[in-house]
Amino acid sequence: MKITLLLTLSCLISLTGAAIAAEIIQIEGSTTVGPIGGAFAEKFMQMHPDVAITVKKTGSGDGAAAIVDGRCDIAMMSRFMKAKEFENAVKNGIFPVAHVVANDGVCVIVHPSNPVKELTTAQVRDIYNGKITNWKQLGGPNLKVVSISRDTSSGTYETFNKLVMKKEKMAGNTEYVNANPQAHARVKSTQGAIGYVGLGFLDSKVKALKIDGVMPSRKTIAKGIYPVSRPLFLFTNGYPKLGSSVHEFCTFYLTETGQEIIESKGFVPLTEY
Amino acid sequence: MSMMLRKITDKSFTGLAGFSVVLIIMALAVVLGPMIWIGATAVVFKGTVEFRELQYDLHQRGDRGRLKSETSEVEKVRKKIYAQIDQFKRGIDTESLVAESRKKYREYKIFLKSQNLPDEQCDKLEDNAKEIRNTLADVYDSTDKDTIIKTLDELFAAYPAKQFEHTPVAEMLAAAHDYQTVARTIDLSNREKYAESLAEVQERLTKLLGPRPGEDKPALIMEQYGATRWDVAQKQLKMILWIEDWEETEPGKPMTKKLTPRSNQFAGTTLESFFKNLETDLPNLLKPQREFYWQYFIDDSTEGYYYGGVGPEIIGTLLFTVMGMLFAVPIGIISASYLVEYAGDNIIVRTIRICVNTLAGVPSIVFGLFGLVFFVKVLMPALGYESKPCILTGSMTLAILILPVIIRASEEAIRSVPLTYKEASLALGAGKFRTLVKVTLPAALPGILTGIILSLSRAAGETAPLLFAGAIAVGPIPESILEPSRVLSYGSYDIAVGDRYASMVPHKQFGMVVTLIMLVLCLNIVAFVIRSRVSRNLRGQ
Repeated sequence: MKITLLLTLSCLISLTGAAIAAEIIQIEGSTTVGPIGGAFAEKFMQMHPDVAITVKKTGSGDGAAAIVDGRCDIAMMSRFMKAKEFENAVKNGIFPVAHVVANDGVCVIVHPSNPVKELTTAQVRDIYNGKITNWKQLGGPNLKVVSISRDTSSGTYETFNKLVMKKEKMAGNTEYVNANPQAHARVKSTQGAIGYVGLGFLDSKVKALKIDGVMPSRKTIAKGIYPVSRPLFLFTNGYPKLGSSVHEFCTFYLTETGQEIIESKGFVPLTEY
Repeated sequence: MSMMLRKITDKSFTGLAGFSVVLIIMALAVVLGPMIWIGATAVVFKGTVEFRELQYDLHQRGDRGRLKSETSEVEKVRKKIYAQIDQFKRGIDTESLVAESRKKYREYKIFLKSQNLPDEQCDKLEDNAKEIRNTLADVYDSTDKDTIIKTLDELFAAYPAKQFEHTPVAEMLAAAHDYQTVARTIDLSNREKYAESLAEVQERLTKLLGPRPGEDKPALIMEQYGATRWDVAQKQLKMILWIEDWEETEPGKPMTKKLTPRSNQFAGTTLESFFKNLETDLPNLLKPQREFYWQYFIDDSTEGYYYGGVGPEIIGTLLFTVMGMLFAVPIGIISASYLVEYAGDNIIVRTIRICVNTLAGVPSIVFGLFGLVFFVKVLMPALGYESKPCILTGSMTLAILILPVIIRASEEAIRSVPLTYKEASLALGAGKFRTLVKVTLPAALPGILTGIILSLSRAAGETAPLLFAGAIAVGPIPESILEPSRVLSYGSYDIAVGDRYASMVPHKQFGMVVTLIMLVLCLNIVAFVIRSRVSRNLRGQ
């Protein structure tokens, strides 16, 4: 047993010795932007075998905290940085620079059996702040409204809170779930449910509603006609050094491959390639 | 009477105990059964030709010659399917038809120039082609069925295709011919509706069969292949064959689901038979075959865990667990020995004991945040390393998480060593330290090992402490302990919160969870064997 222990120890020590051959880019942040980061990483590492990329998806807030602490090289965020986060960053000698990589819409979804097709932002707000409690009030069936929201640390929540709720408080009986797939799954299985997810999560199992008469789609989001559209960000400390791997990664969305990846991951590319 | 009562209590207790054992076994079966069942499909499943292609492209696995003959066979069947779609598309997508005839006309002009014909003949041929092109443009724009058929018939009569054999014009006429066939069968005013449905069919077909040969290769590996598994293929097929619709039965009630065959949409057209063909030909299109994908345990996965295995995750989990043990076990045993053998029994020792017990009940996310704040932000810079989460910080976080369990178990084990052992050792002239190392600890080892086994399983399965202190979702296999690593527990969490595609591959998530269970089981078995060997030695056998 002692011998095995010694062997493991020496293995680990030799591991430390052989370290730092490849360049490592650490990426952290939003679960929404995560699939883009991950997919970019896959392609990027194929193109540059000497660069290692790690991606961690914990939420926009954590991404911001990580770049502020200097714990990561690139932070993924589905909202812009807050004033407080900027302040802390500058105090730490870090100057966050935003790169917009794609656009996304926050789509309001209901169970497909729900005959309601269209809502205004005011109506959605009334549902979430508890003024509307039954679909009957909106011309739908006699069903209790079950409102599903994302957790308050998510960037999607922030966008929804700012653009739809106008920072009004949500009703006490709102259910909070901590990722897009959960919100989707909850709405899919509950007849009276209403929730909101990113554009990429729309499928035949849930029904997206027109908001203020606009259907969320690539076109309406790219042009900003859809009222709950938002850009998705990568943040770096200062503008990355030209020609560096981080710079290439942050501008990867401009290449045709990058745009194709963004589209196939269900987001809206910035340009029409 | 009291005898009777005693018997009844006895019997009822036995019954109750038996019942609870049955309940536990049932609960285990209900929880683990489906998990293991679905998880096993990550390794044993019906793989399609796409799977074998992927395996060959990515890992050079399988027999090249056999694969080649297989793909060429499949290609033949697929060609028919694609041809049927292409032909129908001719009647729908008029814009590209107009563009194509323009292009062919231009090609024909260049062709004529290269032929060195007399000017007069050349002009005439060019005029003819122009005439054909213009007529076709009109026909493609029109939605009047009779006019289209009539005009085309006249055109074919005036310019027999033979006259233009082997020239671009012949291709132009062939396209027009296809268009005529389709135009006979479809309602031309509904062109847009057909086009929409066709686009969906084509999109699904790409997911089923992969990108068409000759098309550009998509950037992500995930999209370079069709359905690699027979069960996924059947899901896709269902979505091609059936349209899910919701319709109102009565006002004020929720709508009800209705499935209609998609072929109804194309009723009467040349595409109607396509759906039937696709269904019957599917085995020939994909050639399913039972696969035993044991490499699941060593392969890397593609982004979003869509294809591939859990190799890096297994390595990461082992690294974190073993490293955590290396930190926790020595510290735990030493402090337990101190608390029992040296510290005596006073208020400070009792306080420490209460603290250790409380620590064992602290939620694991608290340790995770502590690891982030102390190990990552304070310790790493103090040691002269970058302040970034890595295996070292993660395993130290795990170590403090399992430390209380190890201390508690070791304390109990050391305390239960018979006093006579120690007395015998002391009587022979051994010091206190020597007695501890040579007599007490070896005698307590089986008990200590039990504590280690318990904490080992816990360390391997924890997500929260590693969330901030060293685990990642995407990344290569670590080359040193100063790099972060993927782990099984965080991986299955990431599938649950991650991508929209993750819901397409439930077997990957279950596979990961089952792998974790198996890994813990293996670690336990190893520890178990060590423990039984130690206690056998102790008994002097």
